[in-house]
Amino acid sequence: MTGRPPFVTADLLKKMMADYYARGNEARQRGVPVVWVTAVFPVEVVYAAGLFPYYPENFGAMAAARKVTDQLSRAAEAQGYSFDLCGYARCGLGDAYASEHPVGAIEKPDMVFCCNTQCGSLPKWFEAAGRFYQVPFFLLDSPMIQSTPTTLGRLYFIEQLKELIDFLEIRTGQTFDLDRLAEVMALSGEACRLWNSILDMAALSPAPFGFFDACYHMAPIVTLRGTREAVEYYRALKGELEERVAKGIPAISGERFKIYWDHIPVWPKLRWFADYFASRGALVAVSQYTHSWAWSFDPSRTLESLAENYTEAFINRGFEQRVQMKIDFMRKYKVDGFIFFSNRSCKPNSFGLYDKRNVVSRRTGLPGIVIEADMSDLRFFAEDQVKGKLDVFFHQLEQRIGGAGRQ
Amino acid sequence: MAVNQYLGEVLHRFDKVLEDPLEFIQQYKTENRVKVIGWLPADVPEELIHASGAIPFGIIGHSGGYSWADAHLQTWACSLVRGSLGLALQGKLAFLDGLIIPHICDTTRNLGGIWKHVRPLPWMENYLLPRQVDRPSARTYLTGELGRLKARLEQCTGREITARKLQESIALFNQNRVLLRRLWQWHVSHPGVIGNRVIYNIIKSAMVIPREEHNQLLMQLLETLDHMAGGEEVEEGCLRLVLSGKVWDPPEIMNILDKHGAVVMADDFTTGQRYLAGDAAETGDPMEALALRQINRIPFACFPTARYDRRSFLAELAGKNRAHGVLFLHLKYCEPENFDYPDMRAAVESAGFPSLRVETDVGNLSLGQLETRIEAFLEMLRGRGTE
Repeated sequence: MTGRPPFVTADLLKKMMADYYARGNEARQRGVPVVWVTAVFPVEVVYAAGLFPYYPENFGAMAAARKVTDQLSRAAEAQGYSFDLCGYARCGLGDAYASEHPVGAIEKPDMVFCCNTQCGSLPKWFEAAGRFYQVPFFLLDSPMIQSTPTTLGRLYFIEQLKELIDFLEIRTGQTFDLDRLAEVMALSGEACRLWNSILDMAALSPAPFGFFDACYHMAPIVTLRGTREAVEYYRALKGELEERVAKGIPAISGERFKIYWDHIPVWPKLRWFADYFASRGALVAVSQYTHSWAWSFDPSRTLESLAENYTEAFINRGFEQRVQMKIDFMRKYKVDGFIFFSNRSCKPNSFGLYDKRNVVSRRTGLPGIVIEADMSDLRFFAEDQVKGKLDVFFHQLEQRIGGAGRQ
Repeated sequence: MAVNQYLGEVLHRFDKVLEDPLEFIQQYKTENRVKVIGWLPADVPEELIHASGAIPFGIIGHSGGYSWADAHLQTWACSLVRGSLGLALQGKLAFLDGLIIPHICDTTRNLGGIWKHVRPLPWMENYLLPRQVDRPSARTYLTGELGRLKARLEQCTGREITARKLQESIALFNQNRVLLRRLWQWHVSHPGVIGNRVIYNIIKSAMVIPREEHNQLLMQLLETLDHMAGGEEVEEGCLRLVLSGKVWDPPEIMNILDKHGAVVMADDFTTGQRYLAGDAAETGDPMEALALRQINRIPFACFPTARYDRRSFLAELAGKNRAHGVLFLHLKYCEPENFDYPDMRAAVESAGFPSLRVETDVGNLSLGQLETRIEAFLEMLRGRGTE
């Protein structure tokens, strides 16, 4: 990441996100309900209803990136919340109780909406938040897809989307507009398509963009998909990246390896990891995490399409499907090796990684390691251990290519 | 006393089985040539397994072998799941004809894939329970999911599960629950006579001993106890506790409570009251009946319900039972319980019930320290009680 010119769009991003948070305050003043949603939630419904969606997970990531998870967590721990819980949840709950707000106070909700495609931690956190703020909690339940999606599961989710719409109509007194939903989905789909094509550029050699860039530029696809701003933003970013390709400005200088990373970054150590990989001439090119928002919506089949996209996310799939998805990414991006991050805050991403490492290596012939850490809490980060594992991994990579670089 | 001697014999039968449930069930399987389908806690519809002609076998709190799981499952998964996988990895569950893992949390959701990969059984299924139980969609979906499970079970055993067969199984399991509840009632009205460890062992043995025999044993036991009822002195000065958590293991905790004169009046364990409370209807569509029983079960961390708030449920339970205090037994790393705990504690304490929380492992526990903490808590309660 060193030595290259900063992204022009980065300024646009800062402004967009500042505007977004300002809209939250404004919404409250105008009496527009603030709705908590999870990252993998059909936020299109919330935008279509004209409400303000707020992402407590972003708050968790922000606190993690600014290395204050332990401070906020202690406020939650003082209430009896165990430090074994998800770090984001500890930040969110901690901030609710804390008197000091090192990353600004978490936005108070008028309703909390949650989808459990990602995990079971979010529903428990949101349920607790619902009690704390004394606001209604609505769970969109997405049973795991063991192999291929079933009609039973899809119909269940569609039925729940209808229940969600009923719930919104009762709470807001407004009739829900399905045509507006289709419009929002079209915007969302366009942003997702652009996002996907941006992520794809990491497959170029050398690539203008990698995983660590994606972690920075993902805020709008999570938060603002479904709005025109998100589409414009990713159009601008894509343009900038195409320009960089034309000018020959790579993401890292001297790219020798491409790496697959699974899954989320270690936020408080993002720079540490980025620098480490750059010093090795390695571009972390792809992760299932940033691809989570590369959805494909069909606005002509609103609820069905939402159900398909939001239930079929990789994290809601069985062991074998998830292995296959990883391998597909590794092949598509032509990576030289992979790193699986066993994240103490995230059981659904981590449980199974030990065996998946072996299966993936066997099937692809690629070297891979599992590292232990936490996405947000540095109390669970042993730098020497992680670095030791990475060193061994890169030694292996060097040996494989005889120090000559990728063919 | 003859009655006491007879009582001892019946109780011995339950204990004997729990000494080595794996040995017991394998012997049963060989002698009776039946299929055995294992299940993990919680909420697996054993009636459905029974109606398919197989014996349901609960894999619950078998201790030891945790390190076997280290290469496959992080140490920050709960001991219940690590222990079960550990058993499989040691080959101790190879006799099973099938396994049902209910999806109640992130760990159980991921366990099936790992298990299937490292130690596949001839037949393995996940029970994809709905995690919201308040809205109409849950019931429709769950009936469908039970239908899927039923079809898969029929493939496993090669026997059709007719509505009639399922109704018979439901009746058999209802009878078991009725008997267990009668036994529980006897226990709370005669505190300290048979003891907490014994009563919880009997509940646990229901998950192991085929239900026909378990019902017989329970009937004999209740008959004996009814003879005793008049003659026995109710033990004075015992402390009444309400317990909360996912499972009540390790069993030694119950011995500690017995030793210190505390009696468990009620709980919300999936291997306790949640297991024996509430019956399924014996008429009408039996699949609907099973779905409805599931949806109306008592509150549990894994299935939040606004209809039946878990915090007020627990506070009311403590109130109804005139509890001196509430003891939370939380499996270390159980996220759903960890999220519920602060508000649960607040609810019971604001209702006037002191509480203690201990983190548990189903095995490998430092019991000495645990006993010291529980003992101190009980002394504190005793002090309050005599103020």
